[in-house]
Order: sequence, then structure tokens, then C-alpha cells
Amino acid sequence: MSEHSATENHRPNYLLIFGALFVLTLIEIGIALTGIAASAQVVILLALAFTKALLVALYYMHLKFEGPIIRIIAAVPVLLVLIVILIPIFDVWIFG
Amino acid sequence: MNPMPGVGTMKFAMWLFLASEALFFAALISAYVLLRLTSPSWPDVSELLNVPLVALNTSLLLISSVTMVYGFASIEDGKQSRLRLYLIATAVIGTVFVSIQAVEWAQLIGEGVTASNSVFGSTFYVLTGFHGLHVLIGILFLVLTIFRSYRGRYSQAEHGGVELMGLYWHFVDIVWIFLFTIIYLI
Amino acid sequence: MTETAELSFVRRYVFSTDHKVIGKQFLFTAMGFFTIGGLLAILMRTQLAWPWQEIPIIGPLLYGEASGNILPPESYPALVTMHGTIMIFFFIIPILSGALGNFLIPLMTGARDMAFPRLNLASYWLMVPAFLLVLSSFLVTTGPASAGWTSYAPLSILQDAAPGSAMGQTLWVLSLMLVGTSSLVGAINYITTIVMLRAPGLDMFRLPMTIWALFITAILVTFATPVLTGALILMFFDRSLGTLFFAAGEGQVILWQHLFWFYSHPAVYIMILPAMGVASDVISTFSRKPLFGYKPMVYSIWAIAGLGFIVWGHHMFVSGMNPLLGITFMTSTMLIAIPSAVKTFNWLGTLWRGNLQMQAPMLNALAFVSTFVIGGLSGIFSAATPVDIFLHDTYWIVGHIHYVLFGGSLFGVFAGVQYWFPKMFGRMMSNTAGIYHFVITFVTFNMIFLPMFYLGAFGMPRRIADPYQYEMFSGLQGTNQFMTYALFVLAAAQLIFAFNFFYSLFRGKVAGKNPWKANTLEWTTDSPPPLENFEEIPTVYRGPYEYSSPLVAADYLPQDQYVDGTESPRGMPAPAVSPAAGD
Repeated sequence: MSEHSATENHRPNYLLIFGALFVLTLIEIGIALTGIAASAQVVILLALAFTKALLVALYYMHLKFEGPIIRIIAAVPVLLVLIVILIPIFDVWIFG
Repeated sequence: MNPMPGVGTMKFAMWLFLASEALFFAALISAYVLLRLTSPSWPDVSELLNVPLVALNTSLLLISSVTMVYGFASIEDGKQSRLRLYLIATAVIGTVFVSIQAVEWAQLIGEGVTASNSVFGSTFYVLTGFHGLHVLIGILFLVLTIFRSYRGRYSQAEHGGVELMGLYWHFVDIVWIFLFTIIYLI
Repeated sequence: MTETAELSFVRRYVFSTDHKVIGKQFLFTAMGFFTIGGLLAILMRTQLAWPWQEIPIIGPLLYGEASGNILPPESYPALVTMHGTIMIFFFIIPILSGALGNFLIPLMTGARDMAFPRLNLASYWLMVPAFLLVLSSFLVTTGPASAGWTSYAPLSILQDAAPGSAMGQTLWVLSLMLVGTSSLVGAINYITTIVMLRAPGLDMFRLPMTIWALFITAILVTFATPVLTGALILMFFDRSLGTLFFAAGEGQVILWQHLFWFYSHPAVYIMILPAMGVASDVISTFSRKPLFGYKPMVYSIWAIAGLGFIVWGHHMFVSGMNPLLGITFMTSTMLIAIPSAVKTFNWLGTLWRGNLQMQAPMLNALAFVSTFVIGGLSGIFSAATPVDIFLHDTYWIVGHIHYVLFGGSLFGVFAGVQYWFPKMFGRMMSNTAGIYHFVITFVTFNMIFLPMFYLGAFGMPRRIADPYQYEMFSGLQGTNQFMTYALFVLAAAQLIFAFNFFYSLFRGKVAGKNPWKANTLEWTTDSPPPLENFEEIPTVYRGPYEYSSPLVAADYLPQDQYVDGTESPRGMPAPAVSPAAGD
């Protein structure tokens, strides 16, 4: 099994990233099991999910090492995805 | 003239395609979120669904991303047989993932939740179903990639196809990261 | 380069990977659907002029003696639905993106073909089953879809609400899924080609506006279409599996509107931006003047596209949507007027003191600008939520959309087709016929659609087969008859265009490489271009709008013409020998 440190030749430490992903998943499950307020749970869990997704995108999909054009192609849909999910929520769900 | 030396047209197009797929899943997720927020009664997921099993499944998919990227690293180093090993591992884990999902579906149907008798059922089956479909398609392409590897298609110098395979597979993993969170945990 | 082995007729002209052939395939099929969509409009307007009267010829043919040779009441919504669906998805989008996009992008960027020629083949042939499905919906017993091209739930979910709710609606859904896939695949091809296959020296800010517009349109397609596909899939499941996404009561009916309009608003920009690009190029060429404000023109298209993603709720002001949300949508909608205005003023700035060549393409481009302005101004009224509450679903909206889609996009198509016909087919269209077609079309177009603003402000609702059943509208029949007579003349005038087009294919004056003395790269090669587009890939030294340049005696200066003493493209030596072939 060839493991390379992150300093060599732009190759990240994939196992380390997996470790982080796994730990984050455990934390997520832990948070879900605790009895903290639902709204706090949602925010924290989504933030954790975003973090995991970002790790996969940056290191496994090598986005960290790509140029600006590819990064824009990756970033723009994130914004649009948020719009298409959040706006209808705002329509039906009056906060507070 | 290529403004991005090192990026081929295929990789560029794959990123565009994945961007469009993100919007596709966004539509389905938007439906899920809207319907759940406006639903008078949403089932308690921790009782209805086998969250520990799915947590295991989620970890398996994460592991398959590792095997995939190790496969890519292998061919970057010119190691053909390692590449095949990791591709096969990825495909196997992917198959296990889908199988466990199928078992979960069977359990749920057994509990009387179908796509047509509840809003929860409608959103659950469609969301996980399309994700599962994407995994299945990914497995098919993995098999194709494995065959091509046996035919000597990939080398240290030229392995773009493996990179494309990886991008798709990791994207499918990312989608699941969100689905797992919003369906099973939140 | 490719081997010169002869391809069979089928490989060369039917299942072709050549972007020029594919572009023409889109062109011809789109023209066919335009005819169908137009005939549907004629039927609609006949009903509006003379409700429940016997229709000559068509009445007995389509509807039969038993129903009195009249349009059956339940058929009117189907006419309305299919007119909109066909014009949008099978005419205007395919002819702008599919036909002009395919034909022009590699030629104007100096490439030999698209980045993915086989994917391009797929993008056309995915449309073919879509064509069959949508056409067959006319032939099923219960008739075609009748829920409006907007297909709102819950009507569109119920299989038995109206005749068109049965098989017709299912065929509609399936057909549009295929259209969406075709569009998406094409868009990815276009973006890749424009970004990665440009000729040496062709920086992004040396691209002609037609290409900028097609590029940004393709980005819209990539991000908006999947949401519609998702919504269509959910609708399909609601109809066939009994899922509850949009079901009245248990599901969320408004979810359909959000998902549908998230796509369909960018879709209207998909329909207008390419025409704007064409207008910029035609106006510049026929004014013999550089385009006024090239970079602001480009940034304006970006702004329109970007804002276009956050205005969709203005179609939903009366849906029961959260009024707070309505305010945000109203604001963003009004903002979109700004880049559109910038573009309009820049077209005027291009024309100002130009050496205007009033040939058919130019006349149509001018009509584009003027009618687009009217359409856009009427949109500002509708953008204001309180006003729209009154105007929604009236003929005001029908007037608005037709001024921007017919006045805008269609005149843009007439300009573009007549402008690039020589390049596509190696012959000129008749300019005289083009002028006759233009004058009659322009006059009758305004006769039909301008009164719609009056009718709409009066309150006349759309999609109603007999508005005069309501006493307050009974006085409007005269106006509607006037509009219908104008439509008959408009329709007849299109025969001039059709005859001009098809006659010129065979008997038009043979065209040289550059009959319009234009600057862009497609005019540097033969008309029609050879299979590989260019003998040698051109090198580009400047932008596309150097008309009446002081550097040369001629009033045009092609992008690939080197002028001694001027700067070379970055990093490239002046040509001592011809640029190398290939990319």
C-alpha cells in the first residue's frame, strides 16, 4: 500500500482524510443521538455534512489543486443548490 | 488553445456534468425538505429506519471513495495491478452498499411504507432510489474501467478515464453524505 | 487529420457527427415545428374571433360533423398548451441553440468541430423520440396535454381531470424529459468547445457576441434544465406510481411551481440571449461600425443570466406564495431591466452615425431591438407585484411574452438565418423577398400583439375559449377579430420566407466566402465550409468588431488578417509563414 505524505507531489494523505471523514460521521451520529434543540442540531449537522463534502471535493476530487475555472464550475452549483432548496422553504415556513 | 493546460476536455466536461447532476439532486432534495417541513406528521426516523445499519453503509461508501482514490494514485504511479485491485474493491463495496439499501427498502415496505401511501415514503424512495441508481451506474462504469485496465488502456502517462471515474464516484459519495444527514439524522 | 475515406450517405447526412449537418438537422426540424405551432395559433385565434362557429375545412376534418364542425370546448386548452410547448421546446430553443449554436460555434471559434462530435450526434437524435412523443400526443384518442405549457399541479397530476390529462399529459412529460437531456448534453458540448477549442489568439474578449451569448445560454441550460427534469420525474411518479409530491391535500402543489419556474425563468433567457448575440453581430456588420461597448455588452449578458436565476417567483405572485418572498422577487426582477437597458442603448450606440446597410438581416435585427424594448417595458409593469396581481393571466402577459419571444427571439432568428444562410448553403437568399417578408411580418405582428396590452389591462383573461360569455368582455370581440385577420396575413407572409428559403437552397445566387464583408472567422472559409471547416486553423489578431478601422482602407478588418506593424497576439510571433494547421 503506497502512502504518501501531503508534501510529496501534490498527493494528499488520503487515509488521513478518511480518518477525518469517519470521525466527523461519528460526531454527526453522536449529535443526532443527543437531545439538544432541534434547530441547533440541524445547523450543526448540516455544517458537519458540508465539511465532509468539502474534504471529499478538495482532496479526493483534487479540487484543491485545480485552477480557477474548474473551481468556479464546482462552486456555482453550490450557490444555486442553496437557492433552489432555501427559497421554497422560506415560502412555506415562517420563521419564529 | 486550451486555457487550462493539464485539464483535458473530458475532465472539464465531467465537472460540468457533475454540476448539472448537483442541480438535479437539489430539485429532489428541495421536494423532500419542503414536504417534510409542511407535513403535519413525519415518522420518527430513528424508529422506522435502521440508522445503525445505514451508518455502517455510509462508512462503507466513504471507504469506497478511499479505495477509488487509491486506485487513481496507483495508476499515477504506473501500478496496473494495484489499480485493478482498488477498482474491484470499489465496485464490490458499491455493490454491498446498494444491497444493504435494498434490504432497507424491503424492511420498510414490510412495515407498510410505500411510495404512494405517505409523503415520507414518496420522498424517501425517490431520493434514495435515484442515489442508488447513480451508484449502480457507477458500478457499471467501474466494471467497464476494470475491463479497460485489463486491456492495457491505462498507463502512468495516460489515465484520464480513471480520473473521470473517480470524479463521478466521489460525487455520488458527496450526495450520500448529504442524504444521510438530512434523511436519517436530522 | 481525419482520413478522407468517403462516408456513406447515412453516416454523412443522417447519423452525422459533423456540427454543420447537425445544425441543419435542428434547423429544418425546428422550421417544421414552427409551422405546427403557428397552425395551432391560427386555430386558437379563429376560436377567439368567432367562438363556437363552424371552422371551414379544418372543422369537418379535425372535429367532425357530429360536433358541428366547431372546436370542442375541451380542445381549446389543448391548443393553448401545445402551442406554447411546441413553440418553446421544439422551435425557438432548438433553432437558436441547436441550429445556430451547432453550426456557428466551431466556425466562429476557429475549431474543426465541437469538442465531442459523437455527443453532438446524440443531442440531436435524443430529440427524435421527443418529436415522436409530442406529435403522437395529437393522435391519441383523448388528445394532447391540456394543462397549459406550465402544467400546474394538481390538474396535471390527475389522470382524469380533462381528456388531455390522460395519455396526452404523460406523453408531454416523457417528451420534455428527452428534450431536457438533449439540451443538457448539447450545452456541455458548447461550453467545452468555447472554453477549450478556440483558435490561437482568440481570447475570450475577442469572441463575437453571438458566441458569448450562446456560451452563457449553455451555462444557463446546464444549471437550470436538471431542475425541470427532476420536477418532471416527480410529476411522472405522481401520475404513474401514485407518489404524493404535488398531490392536492397531502403533497405540496406549490412545489411544482417553484421547481418548474426555477427552470422556466432561465429558459426565457435561454430563448432571448442567443438572439441578442445575433442582433449585436448583425447590427455591427450592417452598420459598418464596431459594437458600442463590447465589454459592457458581455457583462450585461452575465448579469441577465445571473439575475435570471433569482427572479422566478415573479411568475408566482398570485400563487399564494409568501408575500415577503414576493418583494424579493419583485426587486430582483426590476433589477434585470438594467443590463437589458444597457444592451439596448449599446445597440443604438452601434447604429448611431453608422453606414447603415438596410438589408433583410439588418431590418430584422432592428425589429428585434424595437419590439424587444416594448416587450421589456411591459415586463416592468408586471414586475411590480401589486400591478401583476391584476395583470396575471390576462392578455397583458400574452402581449408581453410575444413581444419578447416573437418580436425578440423570432426576428432575431429571421435575422440570423438570412445572415448565415450563405455560409450554410453557399447561396444567397433573395433580399427583395426578405424585405417584403419583413415589412408584412413586422406590421401584422404589431397589429396582433399590441392590442393585447389594451385587452389585458381591460382584464381579458388568457386561456379562455370564450371570454365573451362574460358580459364585461363582450365588447372585445371586434378587437380580437381584427387581430385574427392580421394573423392570417402574418401567416401568409411566412410563406414568402419559406419560399425564399427553399428556392434559394437550389437557385439562390452563388455566395462567395464573405458576401457581407464581415470580420468573424466563419467568413474566412468557403461557403459552405469543407468538412474540416478550415484548410488551416486561423490565427486571430483582434476582436470581431473592427469595422471602418483606420488601419486599413476597407471598411472591415477580419479577425484573422494580420496588419503589419500592429501587435501580435500575446506570446505569438508575427506570421512569417502560415499558421500551423490543427489545434
